[in-house]
Amino acid sequence: MKATESVLWPLARRAARTRALAARLPDLNGKTIAELWDVIFRGETIYPLVREHIRKRFPGVKFVDYTHFGNFYGAREEANIGERLPDQLREHGADAVIVGIGA
Amino acid sequence: MLRAAALVESHGIPTASIVASGFAQQANVLKKGLGVPLQLGVYPGAPMVDSEEVLRKKVEEELAPALTSALTHPSEEGVAAEEEPAPGTIVFTGTFDEIQEHFLAKQWSDGLPIVPPTRERTDRFLAFTDRDPDEVLRAVPPEGREVSILCIAIAGVMAGCRPEYMPVLVAAVEAMCDPRFRIEDAGSTPGWEPLVIVSGPIAETLGFNSGQSAMRVGRQANTSIGRFIRLFLRNICGYRIPPGAGDKGGIAMTFNVALAENETFTRSLGWSTYGEDRGFKTGENAVTMMSVVAISPPTYSAGDRAETHLAHWADVFGATCRYWCHTGFKRGVWHLLIVASPSIAQVIAAEWPKDEVRRYLHQHMPVTVERATHYAQMTSTPTFDLSRLVHEGILPAHYAASDDPQRSVPMIIDPAMVDLLVAGDPGRNQSRAYMNNHMQGPPVSRRVTLPGRWKEMLDAAGNSVT
Repeated sequence: MKATESVLWPLARRAARTRALAARLPDLNGKTIAELWDVIFRGETIYPLVREHIRKRFPGVKFVDYTHFGNFYGAREEANIGERLPDQLREHGADAVIVGIGA
Repeated sequence: MLRAAALVESHGIPTASIVASGFAQQANVLKKGLGVPLQLGVYPGAPMVDSEEVLRKKVEEELAPALTSALTHPSEEGVAAEEEPAPGTIVFTGTFDEIQEHFLAKQWSDGLPIVPPTRERTDRFLAFTDRDPDEVLRAVPPEGREVSILCIAIAGVMAGCRPEYMPVLVAAVEAMCDPRFRIEDAGSTPGWEPLVIVSGPIAETLGFNSGQSAMRVGRQANTSIGRFIRLFLRNICGYRIPPGAGDKGGIAMTFNVALAENETFTRSLGWSTYGEDRGFKTGENAVTMMSVVAISPPTYSAGDRAETHLAHWADVFGATCRYWCHTGFKRGVWHLLIVASPSIAQVIAAEWPKDEVRRYLHQHMPVTVERATHYAQMTSTPTFDLSRLVHEGILPAHYAASDDPQRSVPMIIDPAMVDLLVAGDPGRNQSRAYMNNHMQGPPVSRRVTLPGRWKEMLDAAGNSVT
């Protein structure tokens, strides 16, 4: 008979506790959508098209485009999405945010 | 990107995130790791290769409707992870072959046979640290798992390390867990691989090869520690290639064996060692982790004058690195590690201190603005603009000195971003350059802490060079 061995689980405990999403906004009319962009993958073309699409359905929507927030990934990441971001979003009256692009 | 979305959601603001379809699986791993069922709009395919017309159609018909829905409709999706064993639990009993098959089926193996992580073998590793096995260093993306001393020991066993390597393994993981290292980017598409650089007398004690074929698989210390890093990234972080999903390396590269310096020879030249350059005292043991995204050809240089070799380095390493320099420009950081064989280091050190070498390479590895911009546009960034990067304080002012696209700027942003290390065959005049992936994996060092009874334990372990 071949010898057997018992082995330990080789992964580690997951730390994350599940959190719920913020409430959605069924009607975007009168709401402000802020854009966060990591300055890659043709966002300069994609974001205007997305704005156009949403405005067609919700003519009263407002956008704060990505130039107001700076690149949220990279050299200025800490400054742009650290403690400052929530205040910035509040200052711009953001009700929702589109974040891109990648994963 | 999803981390930014999770941050926004935590402030009660709904988000929709744009991902290309090729990133969707990785996004799902990250969502689970964050514990937040973030809503996505998926762009089908790769936006960088679509025509304007195709891109418009995809955005109008698929991406924009999905983003709109993500902001307006609640998600039914959950991200609760399945029940898992507690750390230290025995999860399987079988023969050697059965264990291999089990680990392969569970995606816990790197494809090579692993050393079965029994409790006894794991305890032998834990004996080589005074740290509590349950001590948690931090939670690491993308799966959000807690890095513990225990899980380091288990990965070390599996990789074929010796128990006495444990202090090096802990220091290596501590360095990778430093936020400056950005382990969260270790699964990015360039497919970079961490390099372990071991400094101090421990390299000789543990039998590292710093001489001929220093970077070849074959010496247990160099090889198994390199493999340990890949297993750690796979099992603890969750960077798995298909059929797993956390690793998004496009083509990627395999693990680097650990690198050690020929410190005795380096000192004989009057140069500081790599470890001393990293801020450690002579005789201190340390580990430095850095990402490697590309390696130069084996570069031979001849002559008995320093500048002859350096001009050749600037030429060959400059050609190797030129394409990727835009990534450093975008982040203001990009390191180059040059590994020089002893014979070349001897010629250079006879005339120039290390800082002079750094300054020379900074001055003699140029790229035109037109080329750097082109490379950025090809890769991911159609809007690349050096002037903007200077305006944002990411690059020094001289990078925007004029509007002439044919002007040259230094590929190396700062001379201090060039590192030098002496290793390799003393009998051959060869060097190689190891290119880091900008702010993803810049060099980060940690002191190696030995257990209280190190010498006695080492003697008992009977460490030998194998």
